Amino acid sequence: MKRILCFSVLILLGISLTGCAEVKLLERVGLTTLIGFDLGEKEDVETTAVVRQVGTNLESTVSIISAENETTEGTGSKINYRTAEKIVSGQVRGVLFGEELAKKGIGHYIDTMLKNPTISDGIYLTVVEGEARPVLEFQYANIPEIGEHIYKLLKQNIQNEQMVSSTLHEVAFDYYTVGRDIAIPIIKRDQELVSISGIALFDSSKMVGTLSVEDSFYVKLGQENFRAGRNEIIIKGDDLPSSLLPTQVDEISIVFDPIKTKKKVKLVNPEQLEFDIHIKMQARILEIKQNINVGQAKNAELLEKAINKRLESEIGRVIAYSQEVGSDIYGLGEYYRSVVRHSNLTEEKWHELYKDLNVNIDVDFTLIRSGVFE
Amino acid sequence: MKTNLHIHPSETFNAFMLFFIIQSAQIGVGIQGFQRIIYQDAKHDAWISVVLAGLATHIIAIFMLKTLHLYDSNDLYGIHQDVYGKWIGNFLNSLYILYISSAFFAVMMNYAEVVQSWVFPNLKTWFLVASLLLIVVYSFTGGLRVIVGICFFSFVFSIILLPVLGFPMKYIEPRSLLPVLEADMSEIFKGVKSMTFTIVGFEILYVIYPFIKDKENVNKPLHLGLFLTTIIYLAVMLVSLTYFSGEQLSKTIWATLTLFSIVKFPFVERMEYIVICFWMLIILPNLCLFVWTAYRGTIRIVNISAKKFVWIFSFITFIASFSLTTRIQINMFNNHFSRIAFYTIFVYPILLYVVAKIKNKVNKRKA
Repeated sequence: MKRILCFSVLILLGISLTGCAEVKLLERVGLTTLIGFDLGEKEDVETTAVVRQVGTNLESTVSIISAENETTEGTGSKINYRTAEKIVSGQVRGVLFGEELAKKGIGHYIDTMLKNPTISDGIYLTVVEGEARPVLEFQYANIPEIGEHIYKLLKQNIQNEQMVSSTLHEVAFDYYTVGRDIAIPIIKRDQELVSISGIALFDSSKMVGTLSVEDSFYVKLGQENFRAGRNEIIIKGDDLPSSLLPTQVDEISIVFDPIKTKKKVKLVNPEQLEFDIHIKMQARILEIKQNINVGQAKNAELLEKAINKRLESEIGRVIAYSQEVGSDIYGLGEYYRSVVRHSNLTEEKWHELYKDLNVNIDVDFTLIRSGVFE
Repeated sequence: MKTNLHIHPSETFNAFMLFFIIQSAQIGVGIQGFQRIIYQDAKHDAWISVVLAGLATHIIAIFMLKTLHLYDSNDLYGIHQDVYGKWIGNFLNSLYILYISSAFFAVMMNYAEVVQSWVFPNLKTWFLVASLLLIVVYSFTGGLRVIVGICFFSFVFSIILLPVLGFPMKYIEPRSLLPVLEADMSEIFKGVKSMTFTIVGFEILYVIYPFIKDKENVNKPLHLGLFLTTIIYLAVMLVSLTYFSGEQLSKTIWATLTLFSIVKFPFVERMEYIVICFWMLIILPNLCLFVWTAYRGTIRIVNISAKKFVWIFSFITFIASFSLTTRIQINMFNNHFSRIAFYTIFVYPILLYVVAKIKNKVNKRKA
């Protein structure tokens, strides 16, 4: 008897414990799926939230609400003033930064998001060409919910390794690492669609430059080893020996997708700061816009050489550009730190060094197959 | 040696259970955020500190066992009374009870804080503490064998969580560990010292030893348990060091939980919320074992029934829980506790062994 009494008291307490916590019923909250930050006109920041409200019959409405304030959390409460439901951020999937704001620095926002336990480390960060608000507020004919749409757009491209990954965790990692800078996608409104239009490069927290969306291949190539990711390169006719082509052409396009890439970085000279980047790549050719028979060993070898040369010069261009704007997207500073003992590297010191370092690039491209039809 | 304990066979358990007991007594709240504390001392060589701390536990465990072997069947409290005499012995016993009680308190308050920071910011501390205490009282009154049973489940749960670490491993950057041994020895040892808060719990051996049925088989499960704990800590530490960048790690209060926040399943969006609630089952044996240890000590000093003891103990803890409210206070408490714990578990056992050995020799000569 006593035992039963004891047990029922425990169960009762358990029930009241769940009652003690704040209840967030789906129909009674507004789920923020995407947040856009812009520079405010009067105050520091303008937040635009894509809020999804689910009704009792599981139908959902999406509203775009924006507010201006000095702080991001302040805008949150201002947004709350304008909605019937309590706004919660547990389902945030992405954060957009307006270009102007990104140029002023996003470090503070990264910090604030990391502080907030309701925001997952897996959300995607992006920069918007122009301002975030008009992109979110536009009435797209075929996009029912812009928040989910942008998230899927980014996720799909990042998971297929077509675009540099920009989860909050990775951005924070790059931001807090000395000798490594952020590179995240840029999106823009493209008529009735939203599209990825490039890569934003940062100097610690400030956006300092952009690369085209095609360059994402080279950025990724320098950042990590990866498998997928289709890429098209254009080879100048002059680089190809005449034996390969029946007639002389200005340039040919080759589309390939790397099956496997392996990157090796070596600091060859710590004093003069000279790096060797050696990239080994195995790929299959998907398309050649000129009839070259790559089935022949000699042809394949010549083609590989031409591709090597092209890739080397493209990566060289990307590095030169990143040096020019002062954004170490390949994390060479991290290499320096991990090799040189007691380097005591600081962000300022590295950016000083980064501008003048030399990088030798060596690509070893191997054509492993070219489809099922020769 | 009149302090020898006579434990009824129905209360004893097999030596191999010690494996689960040691492991679950060690893994508790410390693992949720030990990374940054060690990182602050030893930078990216923090994992070496973890290994050395693990090694230290093995050495200390050997000393503990040697001390216990000097007696037939006795626990720390009895040894104290025998070695130092009744008065000083009881004084040391009270200090030890106080230490164990603060360990209990630390585990509970840290867990309550995690729940409040991550899941329920508006939940009152007293409510959480009260519910936890009730569960502890409930399991404690079941007796030691029930507690040992809980230890087994806690072990299973903490092992289940390990594979989830595979998700953050997608983002690791192994180069972060280089160059190895950039920190000098003093920094690494400072890291070892900081590990104390995380690694405490195995001193339970001192008190639980008389309850082991086959005392000759103690060595293997004990050291395996300690080894497993070290492996778990090392794995978590290595993943954290390579997953976070240095400054990010030193700012992340509960790095292990943040690690889980990147995990996403089709059916659960936010894994860490589940992990945190799950954690109650991991800390439950810690709490139970600590109360039980405190109880074993108390009955050596005053005659009190288990039921009465646990209610009084819970009541005092409940009242004390009002004293810690902010992160800074809890952090300060952790730091003080960790300093005391360092001397209690890493220094004192060696000292006690030396004293007990001398006393033993003197006794023999007399006889």
